[in-house]
This record gives sequence, structure tokens and C-alpha cells, in this order.
Amino acid sequence: MGILNELDAMNHDGDLAPASLNGDERGDVAAETVAKTAKRTRKKAAAQKTTRQTARSKKRARAALREQFDAPPTLDELPDPQAELDANPELQKHNQQLGQELLHEIEMTIKRLMRLSPAYKTSLAVPADVQAVIGDNIEAVAASAGGVNILKRFQKLLPGEMIDTDTLKGMWTMLKFTGEYQVDVFKRRLKGDYDTDEWGMDQEFIDAIRPLLDFMYNKYWRVSMAGLENIPDDGRALLVSNHSGQLPFDGAMIGSGILQHHPASRMMRALYANWFPTLPFVSDLLTKTGQVMANDENAERLLAQDHLVAVFPEGYKGVGKLYKDRYHLARFGRGGFARIALKTKTPLIPVAVVGAEETYISLYKSQTMAKLIGFPYFPISPTFPLLGPLGLIPLPTKWYIDIGEPIRTDEYPDGSENNLMLISQLTDQTRDTVQNMINDRLRQRKSIFLG
Amino acid sequence: MADERVIVVTGVAGYWGNRMVTRLLEQDDVHVIGIDDETPQVNVDGLDFIQADLRNPLLIELLRQEEVDTVVHLKFRETLAASESGFEQNVMGTAKLLGACGEAGVPRVILKSSTMVYGARPDNPMFMREDHPLNGSKKYGYVRDWIEIEKYADSFQEQNPDTLLAILRFGNIVGPKADTPMTRFLREEEAITLLGFDPMMQVIHEDDVVSALAHAVNGAEAYRGVFNVASEKGMPLWKMLGLATKLPIPILHPFAYWSVSLGGPRLAPLPLDYLRFPCMGDMTRMRDVLRFTPQYTPEETVREFSAQQRVRKLLGKKSRETFEQDRLRDTLERRKRVRERGGASKRARRKSHAE
Repeated sequence: MGILNELDAMNHDGDLAPASLNGDERGDVAAETVAKTAKRTRKKAAAQKTTRQTARSKKRARAALREQFDAPPTLDELPDPQAELDANPELQKHNQQLGQELLHEIEMTIKRLMRLSPAYKTSLAVPADVQAVIGDNIEAVAASAGGVNILKRFQKLLPGEMIDTDTLKGMWTMLKFTGEYQVDVFKRRLKGDYDTDEWGMDQEFIDAIRPLLDFMYNKYWRVSMAGLENIPDDGRALLVSNHSGQLPFDGAMIGSGILQHHPASRMMRALYANWFPTLPFVSDLLTKTGQVMANDENAERLLAQDHLVAVFPEGYKGVGKLYKDRYHLARFGRGGFARIALKTKTPLIPVAVVGAEETYISLYKSQTMAKLIGFPYFPISPTFPLLGPLGLIPLPTKWYIDIGEPIRTDEYPDGSENNLMLISQLTDQTRDTVQNMINDRLRQRKSIFLG
Repeated sequence: MADERVIVVTGVAGYWGNRMVTRLLEQDDVHVIGIDDETPQVNVDGLDFIQADLRNPLLIELLRQEEVDTVVHLKFRETLAASESGFEQNVMGTAKLLGACGEAGVPRVILKSSTMVYGARPDNPMFMREDHPLNGSKKYGYVRDWIEIEKYADSFQEQNPDTLLAILRFGNIVGPKADTPMTRFLREEEAITLLGFDPMMQVIHEDDVVSALAHAVNGAEAYRGVFNVASEKGMPLWKMLGLATKLPIPILHPFAYWSVSLGGPRLAPLPLDYLRFPCMGDMTRMRDVLRFTPQYTPEETVREFSAQQRVRKLLGKKSRETFEQDRLRDTLERRKRVRERGGASKRARRKSHAE
């Protein structure tokens, strides 16, 4: 064991070993062969490999694997020296001799070194060594398992710092602190010591679920948002968006995007339909994230308080659209949003969401099921309800959210909210704008999943 | 003293009647007549008590003869299950009293009601104005009676425009001594909630209820119409339970509804809908027309209530001490607020009376 340890120490501490191994091709191969025999005879021999050697052996494993599957080698790969070696027993013998000479030489060098510096000690407990041992063994197992690469991936995931005791201590402290903090927050909330606004929005709750929203926004749907400058930094505004995707994720993504990227990081208040408050947890979630039940009184009050409000005038007709009807806007309600915008003199900001339609592929709407369980619609998709809750996982499509230029309503005289012609004209104008924005984006889009 | 205002308070044997009479008797310019069909347990000095049933036809004579200026109707029996006797007493009693007031030409009538008459429904606006339709649950006796009384009062106001009828719809009344649906809910051993629902609730302290009623009686101008009265801002149900130091026990809502429909309203002091959907009033009219501001913030109200709770003994010594500190701080802040607002504290009022 002694020689190996020293050899290893040298690999790490001095330039000697790499220099000695940097000779001609043959010597290199010989060293490797020696290493291999040593590995077989003494169990933990793998510790002596240099980084270069590791890379080389990996390459070799890959080549072996390729041979196994009869795939032709590519030009950039070197021919396998191992196979060459196996074919020629004379060369093998020669190599073994060379290797033994080399080992002897190295041993002598170490002894000379030790005589020169008697205080020098070697140990295996250096974190990098332990990692190297683990890493090499993982590789060995992976190679013997016939090229199952999962373990190799684990090895890649294992950075050197993971083994360091200080890192572990630090991690433990952080975890403990986080745990204690969470328990404290939970205890405090259980005592009722937290605050909400008058609509029930709970900032702590929003902070807690924001990582999930940000993940969905940035990583899962890779939303790209354009036209944020059309949203004012303060003052009332009414976002009018198309609604799609069976579950109302589009509202969450618009809100999350505005919160993340708008310079004033405004909180959007979406108005939701009266079916959601009857659902447990959904009602709670919507209220705590600051969303508000859609009706005239709530909308007027929110706008009078200068909030940024979002409406989805398509309603269930939009969200429960069949796949074949995607991106064809449904009727925009009865124009209630236009009436309220006229009444409160709020600018209408059209918003087009592209990509949400494909998150679920609804082939058919079952009236019977919907009536049976009291849902406004019940979609049948290739995965739902066949796979149960798994069918609820949305597809990772690429989303685009385009925010259009505001449609001003403050130029109309007072009392315009009773002008039915104006309301229907304004409704149609908004709907056409959103439809055009969707069409423009669809023309540019090349792929549903890649954008 | 001929210029004394004569005020009739009904239901003086009950908690609200008693509080109201005590409050009104602090003033020198009023003569208070208390009416109830049972004798009050606590004697109030200076109260002119008349034992009578509200359905007695001679009530008109009484109102005429005493030249009554204001009637504060507080006689109300909170029956859980809808019952005929409760209806008879509450609704018919109010109807007869209102009829008598109309006949005798009483200028002002004040009724006490609850925001629960709006009903808790999924499509409710977060803050309901006074003209919102009354969709409350008819399964619970007291909610049904309130709705019936209000409907009767509405038609009464149309027929008798000379009588100024003010209806104060209070939010969930919470207080250490009051016995209301909400306090009964909070006093239960277990706070049963519905899993996954956390509606916003408005509360008002019992002292503020009495203050609001006295404010309506004493106002320089006479108030007509309906007023929601509660603290402007609501709080989530779970926060309220936390402040009341109760651990919520969430139950799956179909199961809870099913058991209440089988076991009757006795199982739940509050109709389950009110634990599921918000039922809150818009306070604009209270602020702008009634010009009344509750003294207690919602947090203070609930903390004040829970101070009296037996459950508090189960808490550790340390948290009990912090709790007491919180309470005293609440009180100090409240007194400061009152002084800043220039409202008449009891001491100031006594001083002005002496002058």
C-alpha cells in the first residue's frame, strides 16, 4: 500500500509524476497497464490515477462500448491501445517489464524525496483523494454494468466540495437555520401574527410560493414577455387577455412576469370566475395571492384603489377550448370589462398569451362528466383522465406573452358606460387587437416547444 | 324636565338591552324606558322599567302617552334552528312594534341586525353595499328572522316615510361578555373549519356595538336607511382563530355539510357557508353618512376576547405574559387614538356634565 500512497501523494503534490508519464505513447500505455494490474491485485489501486489518466480511461470505455454495439469509430477518436495490446502478447510482456522498471524508478524517487524531507507525511484523508477514490469506483462499476451512465452522472454531480467537512457543517447549519426559521414563521402564523390586505392578499404566502412560479415562468415554459413598457408604473390599468389551457395558468404567468420584470414590479390582481371559490385550496390560494372574484363591485373598487387588474373576458369558453379551436378567440363576455373601464376611466391594455393553448390537448368536452361532478367543463385529453393526476401535468411548451399598447377610455364623456354601442365597439376593438397580436406571434413561431 | 328625550329600549332583560340602557343613562338629557316581557336580572338605577310583551296592542297607547322620541329595538332571541316560537317572538314582535311606532308617530326607530343577512355565497362581492339582495341561509333561525325583520322593516319604511328607521347591520360581534354566533363559535372546544377554505371575516367589538347604537340615538341629524357597521378591514378566519388562541380543525367540506344536514344546526354555531365564502359589508356609508368609527381594531377585538378564554390557561407562562403585554399595549394605543380623534372619553363627558 505504501508505494501507492506515495505515488498518489506525488501525483497531487509534485509535478514529477505527470512529467514522467508525459513521455512517449508507449510508456504511457505501459504505466496504465501497470496501474490496471495493480488495481486487480490490490483493491484500492485506482487512487493513483491522474486526471489525465481518468480522461483517457473514460475515452477507452466509450470506445469499448462502441465496439460492443458494432458502431464505426469516428475520426477524431484515437485507435484503442488496449485492443492493440491484447492482440500482441510480446508487446504485453515488454510493457509489463517497462512498467515494473518505471514503478521501481518512481519508488526510488519517492525514497529519495523522503530522505530529503523527513517531515513529509502522506495521508488518504485529503478530501480530493476520497473523492477520487469514490469517483474511480463509480466509474469501475459503471463500466462493468455495461455502460449504464447513470452512475457516471452521479459522479459529475458530486463536486469536490461536497466531501469537505466544513461544507457539510455549513450546509447543516443552513438547513437547521432554515428549519428553525420556518418553524418560527409557522408558529407566528398560527398565533395569527401576520397581515393581509383588505382583499386577503398575504405577502408572506406569495414570497413562499414565488420560487415555484419563477421556475414555471423561467424554466418550464420559458416565457418571453414583450411590451412591458405599456404597463404604467402606477395608477389603474385593466389588462385584457385571451384565456386558454384548461387550467388558468396564464393568469399566474402574466402576474409572475410583471412582478419579475416590470420596473415597478407591480402586483397584478386577476379577476376569477365564481366557480373557483367553491373549490377547497383553490379558493384559499387565489385569495392569498391577491386574486379577486370577478364582479362589477370588486372590479370598480380595485380600479378605484389604482390597482393593476387583469380580466379574461372569454371565461370558461376560452379556457375550456378544444385543441382544434386553439387561438380562435371566443366571445368577449357581454362587454362588462369595457363598461367598467369606461366608468372608471381606465386604459385597456390588450394581452396575448401564445403557448398556453398547447399545455393540454383537449380533444373532447364531456357534458355528462361536467354535470356529474359540477364542473363548468370536463376536458378529455390523451392523458386525462386516463392517467389520473399524471394527466394534469402540463406540457412544457414555449410561451410568449405580448402586451399591446393601451386603448384609452378617458376621452369619452362621463356617462359613456350606459352607451351600449360604444361598449360593444370597444369590446370588439379589444378583441380584434388581441386576435391580431396572437396571429402575428403565431406567424413568427416555428415550433410549439422551442419557439 | 320637559325637554328630556324619551327613549324606549326593548329587551332590557337581555345583554344588549342592558348595556344600551346603562350607556344611555350616563347622559342627563334622556329619560329611558325599558320594555321586556321578563324582569331584568340586573337592576339598573334610574331605569323606568315596564314589563310588557311587544305584541301587546296597548303598546301604541304607551308610546303615545309617554311622547316617545326614539325606539331602540334590541329584543331578539337567537334561535339556532328555525322555529315557530322564535319567528313569533322575533319577527311578529318587531312587526307589531313597528306598527305601533307608525301609529303613534314615533320619529326615530333603530333596529339591530347583522351582515349575515347578505349570506355567504361564492359570487358575493368582497364588500357588499347595503342595497345588496339578502340571500342569507334560511336554515338557521336567527339568520332567517333577521332577514324577515329586515324585509318587514323595508316595507314599513315605504309606508311610513315620517318615521326615520335606521337599521344597523353589525359584522361578527366578538367580545368577552357578549353571546353571539361568532363568540359561540370561538368558545367551542374545537374550532371546526372547512379544509382548504379561509374566508375573510369582519369583526366588531361589543363595546363598539353599544357605541354605534348610542351614536345612532344621539346623532344631531336623524339617520335613515341601512348601515353596515364593523371594522373596515377584515381578517382571514385562520388569523382570527390564531389570535383567539384556538387550533383550527379542518374538515373536508362535503362531510361537514353532510353531518350538519343530518345532525342539525346544533353541531355548528355558525352556518357552514360563512366559514367557506366571504360575507363582508362595505363600510362607506358607516364612514360618510353615520360618521362612526369603531374604537377597536379587528386584532384588538379578538385579542380582547381571547383574554377571557379558558383555553388560555393551557398556554405556557411565557406566552401568557407576552399576551398580557400585547393586550395592555392595545389598550394604551386605543386610548391614545381616542384622545387624538377628540372623541369624548368617559372622564371628559363627566366633566362636561358637571359644568
